[in-house]
Amino acid sequence: MDPLTPRQDASRDVTPLMQELRLTPDPFAGSLSEPTAVVEPGELRHVALHLKSRGFMLMDSVGIDYLSYPQPRPKRFAVLHNIYHPYDHRRIFLRVWLDDRQPLDSLSPVWRAAHYLEREVYDLIGVEFTDHPDLRKILTPDDLEGHPLRKDFPIGESPTLFREGRFLDPAAFRAGLSGQDGGLTGWRGSLRRGSLRDMVPPVMPQGGPK
Amino acid sequence: MALKELFEKDWQELESEGVLFTSLEKLVAWGRSNSMWPATFGLACCAIEMMQSTNARNDMARFGSEVFRASPRQADVMIVAGRLSKKMAPVLRRVYDQMPDPKWVISMGACASSGGMFNNYAVVQNVDSVVPVDIFVPGCPPRPEALLFALMQLQKKVRGEAFDELGHQLPMVDAWTR
Amino acid sequence: MTTLPQTPGPRRTSSTEKPTEGALLHTEMLSLNVGPQHPSTHGVLRLVVDMDGERVSRVVVHMGYLHTGFEKTFEHRTYQQGVTYAPRTDYLHSFGHELAWVLGVEKLLGAQVPERAQVIRVILHELGRIHSHLVFVGTGLLDLGALTPLFYTFREKESCQDIFEAISGYRMNQGYFRVGGLSKDAPEGWEQMVARFCDQQERGVQEYLNLFGQNPIFLDRATDIGIISAQEAIDLGLTGPNLRASGVPLDHRKNNPYSGYENYDFEVLTTQKGDCLDRFRIRILEIEQSIRIIRQALARLRPGLVQDPNRKISLPPRPELETSMEAVIHHFKLVTEGFHPPLGEVYVPVETCRGEVGYYVVSDGGSMPYRVKIRSPSFVNVQALEYACVGAQFADLITILATIDPVLGDVDR
Repeated sequence: MDPLTPRQDASRDVTPLMQELRLTPDPFAGSLSEPTAVVEPGELRHVALHLKSRGFMLMDSVGIDYLSYPQPRPKRFAVLHNIYHPYDHRRIFLRVWLDDRQPLDSLSPVWRAAHYLEREVYDLIGVEFTDHPDLRKILTPDDLEGHPLRKDFPIGESPTLFREGRFLDPAAFRAGLSGQDGGLTGWRGSLRRGSLRDMVPPVMPQGGPK
Repeated sequence: MALKELFEKDWQELESEGVLFTSLEKLVAWGRSNSMWPATFGLACCAIEMMQSTNARNDMARFGSEVFRASPRQADVMIVAGRLSKKMAPVLRRVYDQMPDPKWVISMGACASSGGMFNNYAVVQNVDSVVPVDIFVPGCPPRPEALLFALMQLQKKVRGEAFDELGHQLPMVDAWTR
Repeated sequence: MTTLPQTPGPRRTSSTEKPTEGALLHTEMLSLNVGPQHPSTHGVLRLVVDMDGERVSRVVVHMGYLHTGFEKTFEHRTYQQGVTYAPRTDYLHSFGHELAWVLGVEKLLGAQVPERAQVIRVILHELGRIHSHLVFVGTGLLDLGALTPLFYTFREKESCQDIFEAISGYRMNQGYFRVGGLSKDAPEGWEQMVARFCDQQERGVQEYLNLFGQNPIFLDRATDIGIISAQEAIDLGLTGPNLRASGVPLDHRKNNPYSGYENYDFEVLTTQKGDCLDRFRIRILEIEQSIRIIRQALARLRPGLVQDPNRKISLPPRPELETSMEAVIHHFKLVTEGFHPPLGEVYVPVETCRGEVGYYVVSDGGSMPYRVKIRSPSFVNVQALEYACVGAQFADLITILATIDPVLGDVDR
């Protein structure tokens, strides 16, 4: 059989692999998600070394901040490593739950690809990686404080100015679209989260826009 | 034509014979406007359309602007093509400062002119807050034709033939300083 | 199929050769800053190169000069609005990112994309690949000092953009796909336009090869430079043509087919050596494969719907608004709020001209995504620069950077 012919048969199933490595499937992964395994932070490098010896490659590292997620999650942060086998095309996500300021073992001793990917997670989400050879900011400017993709980091919109002092407040423009932002009108659309953040009344810039 | 005739005939007569009268300022501005060398400051998508405007179909060389200089010290006009991030803004200012006077700036595309669709923590909302802009080109990205039109507008501005939105003629750039 | 001729004769020393030890002259290491404003960094990449004489001993890549905050912005836009953002990450193969985004959201929603929409998506996806490879060939050779090929490849690129303009109204950054299909049907005569372009492009490839395929300067500067072995490429996480040039036949169009790619007959090409010439060659050969796919797709193109008829996902057509109250309600809800996908996390990989693109979309049940992570291939591929350049000459660094073919919008996002 042509090895390049797409197959969706058992050889792509990662369940045997997960059983062999004693990985627990992610209870929060829905039917739509790719196969995801939850790994303890201490075991991550061990699991990664096993996967590397079986020929897997690291595709991506995803950092997620679950601060304002409507469903409860065990911890605030999750780091997902997207791991793929370039020859038999199995894909598995390794999910690690982390608290704020909890360091995670770096995978750069295992895959060199982790070097930039972990720097990106560090820069944008703020997860620190131990044993990383060069953990610096990668995308944001050096003088930017904070980690932009955390949920408590504001998007940093400025009002769009027009002539004669008229302006457009982007949050108001979007108000009601999702219930995530109040905007100037404070109307939050049909979906109400009721989290504390939504209760903060919208603020008009002092004396209009600058 | 003898030199003597220059002093005997009046200027209408001379112009009909092919003698042109102008001031030195206007002559310098005319020469300047027809060879505006751009500095390559391609940032994002607009840079591709900027490259496209020099190719065979659009041929920016017709307006004397095909010589894209990599070194800002050899350039007259900076085309800021693309979204300017806050990390890049000091670099942009530095490149602008390195350009010799007189110098002009074209802000190409919506992102450079107003932040465009990116209103967030990372993007400078208007290049005009970093360097003084002469021409804004709308579009995301603007067509090469739009860039050519912007260049022609800039040429008018350099020659003192441009008008502001209320219809007042804009002053010509002084020939020796800016 | 055309092939570049194998290089004849002896080649100069390979780039992996170590400098002779115990040299008589005392020399210092030189640190050279390249960029961020430099014509051959393909945008605003900044490299700090430590050089021992003419040889590169270390490269440190500084990026982020085009950081636009895409992922944060996605969280504040509806899913359908995200379609306008996705193409602006990789502006050379914009349909690739667009497709990755809509496929992810469609998986979340369970949308059914009609056959005609899928075929048009495939055509545009492949045209975008050609478009990007043309820019690669033109600017890549420009970096090597050859100005002429740029004019040839940009001629075809213009025709390609005319096709994009005819169907979507935009020359670049189209934003043409919609969740559940396309924004509108192709105009009349568009298929003939594409067919003509295929013929033109086929001739074009021959012309490029005549132009530089046997040019000794080009061959000298590309052969045996920046070799990346298959093992190293996998370790570095390379995907796309860069990985296939090293001999790993990974192509998601074949391996994880999407948009009906399993119905098309094409080859996944690989070369074995993984040097700069191979990376040039594989992209030129991929143009031909793309033409092959486009021709098959044109033959499969039948009239039909281009949008999912599910009114919870796609806007009702204009005439329906005048007769049906329900359509008006759907229209209002979709325009003011957008749809609300169920909770979940999805990832759909797509093979663009730079490698695997995937959007990891986390939905919280609202009309805007909770978190979007873009797996951008250029970002990972640029890492190879730090390894492939060590030991090479400085002039080779430019060649290696050109053949890795990063797009800075894709690197910095």
